[in-house]
Amino acid sequence: MFFENTDDPIIACSTGGFKNTAIAIIRISGSDILNITSNFFSLKIDKIKVRYAHYCKIIHKDKIYDDIILTYFKGPNSYNGEDILELSVHGNILNINRIIDLFTDNSPIRLAYPGEFTSRALKNKKLTLNQVEGLDLLINANSLYNLDQGFSLLSGELQDAYELLYQSFLTHKSCIEFGFDFYEDIGETQFHKNLNDSFQKLQDSIFKLHKHTLNSNDNLLNPQIALIGLPNAGKSSLFNKLLSNNRAIVSDVEGTTRDFISEKLFIDNVNYSLIDTAGIRDSKDFVESLGVQSSLKILNQSFFKILVINPFLLDENFYKSLDFSVIDLIIYTHSDLDGFDNAKANFESFLFNINVNITFKPLLSNLLNSDLSGPIEPTKSGPIEPLKSGPIEPTKSGPIEPLKSGPIEPTKSGPIEPTKTGPIEPKLNQLVLKYLAISNIDSFNSTAPILSEISSKYLISLEFDPIMIKRQVNSISKLNNLFTDYSNVFTEINDISIVASELNIVGHCITELIGIISPDDILNNIFSNFCIGK
Amino acid sequence: MFDILVIGGGHAGVEAAYISSQFNSLNIGIVTLKDVPLASAPCNPSIGGVGKGQVVREIDAMGGITGKLADLSGIQFRTLNESKGYAVQSTRIQIDKDLYSQNAESIINEIPNINVIRDKILKISKKDDIFLVSSLNHEYKAKKLIMTVGTFLNGRMHTGSSQISGGRSECESSESLDSMFSGVKKVNKRFKTGTPPRLDSSTIDYSLLVEQPSDASVETFHVLHGTIDRFVKQKSCYIAHTNPATMSIIRDNKEKSPMFNGQIDAVGARYCPSIEDKAYRYPDRDIHHVFVEPEGLNLKTMYPSGISTSLPGDIQSQMIKSIEGLENAEILQYGYAVEYDVIDTTELKYSLEHKSFDGLYFAGQVNGTSGYEEAAAQGLVAGMNAALKLNCSDELRISRVDSYIGVMIEDLISNLRDEPYRLFTARSENRLFIREDNAIIRMYKYRCHLQLDLPIDRYSKDFVNCFEILLNLLDKTYISNDDSFLELIDFKIARRMSLSELVRQASLNPIETLKQYFLHLNVDIDPRVLRCLSISIKYSGYITKADSINSSISKIDNKKINWKELSQSENISFECKQRIERIKPEFFGQLRIMEGIRPATLSAVAGTIK
Repeated sequence: MFFENTDDPIIACSTGGFKNTAIAIIRISGSDILNITSNFFSLKIDKIKVRYAHYCKIIHKDKIYDDIILTYFKGPNSYNGEDILELSVHGNILNINRIIDLFTDNSPIRLAYPGEFTSRALKNKKLTLNQVEGLDLLINANSLYNLDQGFSLLSGELQDAYELLYQSFLTHKSCIEFGFDFYEDIGETQFHKNLNDSFQKLQDSIFKLHKHTLNSNDNLLNPQIALIGLPNAGKSSLFNKLLSNNRAIVSDVEGTTRDFISEKLFIDNVNYSLIDTAGIRDSKDFVESLGVQSSLKILNQSFFKILVINPFLLDENFYKSLDFSVIDLIIYTHSDLDGFDNAKANFESFLFNINVNITFKPLLSNLLNSDLSGPIEPTKSGPIEPLKSGPIEPTKSGPIEPLKSGPIEPTKSGPIEPTKTGPIEPKLNQLVLKYLAISNIDSFNSTAPILSEISSKYLISLEFDPIMIKRQVNSISKLNNLFTDYSNVFTEINDISIVASELNIVGHCITELIGIISPDDILNNIFSNFCIGK
Repeated sequence: MFDILVIGGGHAGVEAAYISSQFNSLNIGIVTLKDVPLASAPCNPSIGGVGKGQVVREIDAMGGITGKLADLSGIQFRTLNESKGYAVQSTRIQIDKDLYSQNAESIINEIPNINVIRDKILKISKKDDIFLVSSLNHEYKAKKLIMTVGTFLNGRMHTGSSQISGGRSECESSESLDSMFSGVKKVNKRFKTGTPPRLDSSTIDYSLLVEQPSDASVETFHVLHGTIDRFVKQKSCYIAHTNPATMSIIRDNKEKSPMFNGQIDAVGARYCPSIEDKAYRYPDRDIHHVFVEPEGLNLKTMYPSGISTSLPGDIQSQMIKSIEGLENAEILQYGYAVEYDVIDTTELKYSLEHKSFDGLYFAGQVNGTSGYEEAAAQGLVAGMNAALKLNCSDELRISRVDSYIGVMIEDLISNLRDEPYRLFTARSENRLFIREDNAIIRMYKYRCHLQLDLPIDRYSKDFVNCFEILLNLLDKTYISNDDSFLELIDFKIARRMSLSELVRQASLNPIETLKQYFLHLNVDIDPRVLRCLSISIKYSGYITKADSINSSISKIDNKKINWKELSQSENISFECKQRIERIKPEFFGQLRIMEGIRPATLSAVAGTIK
């Protein structure tokens, strides 16, 4: 919804709101709010100084509600350009709600819509559209990296990159316009040369920008790790094992209502959601049940997908319907059981027989030569630095040699794949998947390589410096599509005036991206993603 | 007592008088200096060009005179941008400039309700809604006043170090605006324009130049003229080139150029550089085109377009003689630069009426534009609006969405000029739609607003009807893949399709295809309708596509905004507020095209629009 153009006084709690905390901040924003609220404070209006912290009480009908610190910001020198009262109250949720109710019930102040404070900031020109988005990223950041992006948007660094794109667009457009309006000043040959050169430059800048977005979507903003597998494959114990030492600082409140289990997992400064897709209950359900849609959705959205396999369980329906190409890692469970090696070999030929053609590669641990204490933390402190090494496996070097010994694969001796000797050279188009075998009796240390693998993938994804704001990602992807259309017109159509018209369509997309023109729906979309009071 | 008095008899003035005289109850007067013929062409001897050709056709569709005069005096016809697509193709007609003025004089003189007065205006005042316009010996009275004083406003000409007061060669200038009319704001800077030396045709060796003959297939501007009629003998233009010797002569004499030695500090147009500009700005380029254009059938002078200059006469001679083919060329009139006052057009309304002076209109070069076509179009807008106002009708606002005239008017009143304004096709957001061929279709509703019944009105009505019927018909007429017509045009289709679809086929020439179609049916269609129809069908898909992209913008562009409120908002930067206060934008679109308005301000204002 779009906010009406009013300066009604509004109120909301600007801090958390789900948990009891020591202090919470309630904001009231609007015009003339001092007069409206004067009866609620133990302090006289004329005593209130702009941007001073005043200790006072909230009083209504002789009843004291709370001891608070009151700060008054007078517009336009406030966050959103309006008069703002900030009340630091005691952070008990009941207390917060009681105070908010007090104001909404006994004054013209109403509860704010989500994002309304910021909407007013935009309206009052305190922020630009891109800054609002940057703020959104800052508030909802799930990792330190997100925080950096948020700040860089607020300072407009990203915008500089966009303006570069805009420049190459302008150059290309200018070439065309020059050819039209000054056609006597430029020869036909030179015109076409300029046209093609500038087209190339624009294409380069769009492709480059688009590459940045390829890895970037909710995947990285709110990365999910999905565990999939048959019932009794050992997902739950892996789930618990992964969580045992990395339980998130924030618990996912909403998880309880879903048909899958989700917990926050904190690895190397990034907050992941670990999801056990318990919805996939039996093999037939996976194909037929109603839950399949939501499970597939989780699978699609997930940043990291772990297939949990109990090699003693062969289920044709399940494995046939599974798209192995999306799997990031395979975990074999029950490696402590007798006959595991046989079962595993058996399982692999079972897959081969149902036309699932995969080359299995052991997940090497970079712990091999160091001590075994504690989980692996490749980047223990400081900001996350993208890894410089190119390939997906940063720990890899040289040909892959079968693992001889080590704590991870205690039962292993000799090559893993008896049929192959020497380095594994996957055939063209053949899927290569990394695996790790674990047992229930292993300590939680055994999950360290898994966490390390997840972190590696995250860091490598970040290496492309993804632009993570959804609107921008969408715009860039739209731009890329429009530009592909435009390229066709550019190469196929002789009528340059049509080419120019089609280029304008690309141009609109670029201005939309940079935030010069802001159609209503962009605003609506942004504001509806904001939490109350922020 | 005149209903409308036009001060100035140039392209704007003549057009203003011509359109308002069509309201035949009105009594119109033109006051012009006695040495200057009506609608004279003191600079390039041509009408039309890229963007300008479209304007001439818009003027013609509105019942103006420019297209008619250009046809009658046209000695060379060309289509510019022929290889680049119909939307940007423009007609340019080289004119016999003497003939052009003679034709203007005779047409205007035959109109009973126009009086041409040769006199020099010294003072203008207003009393009880009546303008009092005084010269040395007379006082004229008028209800509405249209100022089309061109470069004559405080004009000053420069050739080398010599300076003469005046708006053009051998003519005296008007008084300054201050002495005529106090209270009308001028632009702080004076504008400058220039013209090249004129050459004696008999001294040019044409065998060394590239000839550009007239194109017999180019359509005339005026729709009531035969489509490809020619009224006088045709004559070629020629192309010459500057060379390193030419350019070093100019570069070596930089200190003698009034534009570069500080004698002139007025602003010229970047798009129309003098040869000095080219020499100093592009030190690496020595070869520039020089278009050698005849100024008339019987005139001895040739106009070398592309080398306007204000250098001293002897340097001009040296420069000319260094050009191949012009070695022996004699200069009959030296080139000069002229600087002049222009008014602040942000004080004008869409009707070109001054916001603070009721009944006072400004049009043409005095508004900071360059070009005969731009001037004429403004004359038309001012003239018809003055007439409409006398008839108590609503102001006619021509939109930028469907015409270059609309683009120009809105640009003019929304921005303070910092250089002379010229129309470019790039200024239009709707270029695929604003074409030469469909000017009648685009302007019909505006012309109807005048509620006149003249031959042009009847022609336009038939044109529009015929166009709409055929457009509909072609959509619904299907051609199967074995239709004999396809053999006629030597084209194969895989499946049955509508004629419209056939016309859109990339490898077919849309105009030829439709022409053949109606020919084989033995149906005679007005070639102007046919051309408009073919191109409209050809572009329809692209126009729809562009429209849907534009619509989100144009929807909000047409919303009214309250500039007073904005200029008092505490949350808009001081600089933006100043601009808003000066320009007083009434619509969001106007705010959007204003210079110096920050994106954040736009976002903020857009957020307040319901």
